[in-house]
Amino acid sequence: MFKTFLSLRYLRTRRTNWIGVSGIFVAVAALIMILSIMAGFLQESRDTLRGSLSDLIVQPRFDTPGRDGRPLLKDGAKTLEIVRADPRVAAACLELQWFGLLTMEGRQMILSDPMMAGMSGVHLVGIDVEDELATTDLRAALEAPPRVAVQRVVDVEDPFRAPPTFDPGDDVPRPRVVVGEQLASRWGMSWGDEITIGTAVFDPQTGEPSDYNSMDFQVAGTFRSKENEADLGRIYLDRRDLADLLGLDADYNTVLVRLHDYERHKRAVVADLRERLAAANLLHPPDSSVGRWEVLTWEDFRRNLLAAIQNEKALMGVMLSLVLVVAGFTVFAILSMMVSEKRRDIGILCALGSTSRGVLALFLMIGAWEAVVGAGLGTLAGILGATYIDSIELWLSSTFGIQIFDRGVYLFDHIPHVIDPLGVALIVLGAVVCTLAFAALPAWRASRLNPIDALRYE
Amino acid sequence: MSEAQQTAAPSPKSGAAPSPRRADAILRATAIRKSFRAGERRLEVLHGIDLALERGELLGLMGASGAGKTTLLNILGLLDSPSSGEVHLDGQSAWRLPPTERARLRNAKIGFVFQFYHLLSELDAVENVLLPAMIAHSRRDYQQRKAAYVQKARDMLASFGLSERLDHRPTQLSGGEQQRVAIARALLRDPDVLIADEPTGNLDSATGERVLELLLEEQRRRGISMLLVTHDERLAARCERVVYIEDGLVQADSRTPIPQ
Repeated sequence: MFKTFLSLRYLRTRRTNWIGVSGIFVAVAALIMILSIMAGFLQESRDTLRGSLSDLIVQPRFDTPGRDGRPLLKDGAKTLEIVRADPRVAAACLELQWFGLLTMEGRQMILSDPMMAGMSGVHLVGIDVEDELATTDLRAALEAPPRVAVQRVVDVEDPFRAPPTFDPGDDVPRPRVVVGEQLASRWGMSWGDEITIGTAVFDPQTGEPSDYNSMDFQVAGTFRSKENEADLGRIYLDRRDLADLLGLDADYNTVLVRLHDYERHKRAVVADLRERLAAANLLHPPDSSVGRWEVLTWEDFRRNLLAAIQNEKALMGVMLSLVLVVAGFTVFAILSMMVSEKRRDIGILCALGSTSRGVLALFLMIGAWEAVVGAGLGTLAGILGATYIDSIELWLSSTFGIQIFDRGVYLFDHIPHVIDPLGVALIVLGAVVCTLAFAALPAWRASRLNPIDALRYE
Repeated sequence: MSEAQQTAAPSPKSGAAPSPRRADAILRATAIRKSFRAGERRLEVLHGIDLALERGELLGLMGASGAGKTTLLNILGLLDSPSSGEVHLDGQSAWRLPPTERARLRNAKIGFVFQFYHLLSELDAVENVLLPAMIAHSRRDYQQRKAAYVQKARDMLASFGLSERLDHRPTQLSGGEQQRVAIARALLRDPDVLIADEPTGNLDSATGERVLELLLEEQRRRGISMLLVTHDERLAARCERVVYIEDGLVQADSRTPIPQ
């Protein structure tokens, strides 16, 4: 009983102990704050990586005809039907993706600056609006408030609808497109502007470029996704318009699939879809070398980048844990000092009937209280700090007149944070274990003190 | 009570053993030797001491500085192990017990009063007195008995004239007051043996006298055995029996005078 009583008393009455508590407090609070904020940034990066993808991506090979000799990419409806038949699938859409060259009347070609050369390589994405809205984050991209002076689409449900300033009497009606906001801004596009998109078409037999097709389109509005690259170079258009432009015997080359419960079902659905689509002759058989890559989760699709992010997070956690070691050293120093100062007390306790194990436990307990109090307060401060980091940063910035976080740099306008309960628990556990480990040596030394020597000391 | 025990004591065997042995000795040391390593050499401080403390006896231990008094006291108090020999406390061979048992025995049966009081400066008077009970019991046991112990500690301190000082820290107490707190602490667990090492050595004579009176009064009243180490002949004169230690040996025992 005396261990609890005395350890708490020593903790309370000896101010040096609070240096140890403060050390642990600062370390735990800083670790939780930094890791939460970094996890927030990484989460944002992850979202960016997911971008316009959906949960699963089906990409049949374009060059190989199916077993019955028909091109694989003509059976969009059938593919969709098979995908949607799975009860775990929430939505699915067809896309036809291609690359094109964008030109615009009246823009001068400036060869010295390829970015301003009057021509841009663009990523053309042919979509079925209703399916696309149900499956991907397109709606959010169409609704996102513009960061530059551009015009959004008139109607999110029908993004290719004619913009208000456009007078159809002016000209022959053109198919309309939705342009990434940075691309639109760079080209100075506004509602109703006419652009020309051209593309090389390949001969399916020889694989050589066989033709250059181009078509005129009208700008219906802009979007802002979380992907910088998409905003700089993507153009959405109706899938049939793109198929017309390409003039190919294919009307889709990608199927995006959204699941009801991605984390739970991703693996099973990927396997099942491979099986079923191959059985319907819409994919290569799953055991062939190409078939393996035709149905992927978005994480498989972006595997390397995701692994890089994960590495970054793990490495940072390890490096920052050194803070805990520093806090542990503080506890070590303070307890060592205390053992020297309290030699006499240790002798008295032994004379009164304490075992050396009791003395060991007493000093370990002091370390444990420091860890518990420090880590407890630190956890509270860390979680509050991470939660209100945005307000804290704004306050600091306005008080000291310096900009700490430049919101213009990122595609998000707040300091993100993700508080991971498991991470917090690990940090607290790490702090307690680290402190106890550092307290162990002085505590052991205290227990080895000869009570006779300790009592003689006056 | 001590009178009764004195009469009950058998007469020493003529010339056989150097010190008397009685079946009911509460604390008995047999052939205690103690040596220390001093660099290359081994330095023997106690050369084979036999000593028995009877129940209820007040035994004075005298000797010059460096004679080995304190070493013997530490061995008898189960704080320091003998190099050879045995210490029996209440019939148990204390140094053959595992350390935990020995610590329990020390807690239950021995009370220490030190020259320098040795109170914990972080605790007030009552808490200092309660410390042996806190050491003795698990948290749950202590909680159950706490009220009784606290009452006992307060009563004892009050009877020692410290009722106004219960929540004072050692630094707020005079030397005499601190020593009275230490005596209360030594008595809390109703020990069989009190070991007092120069209990008045650090007090002025008037205060020392009062503290000594208190100590002797409690010893008599409770009928416990006491081992009193002192330099002071006047103090020794108040003991029933005095043992002189010189050069690590019992040189004289007032009950069995060694023939010169």
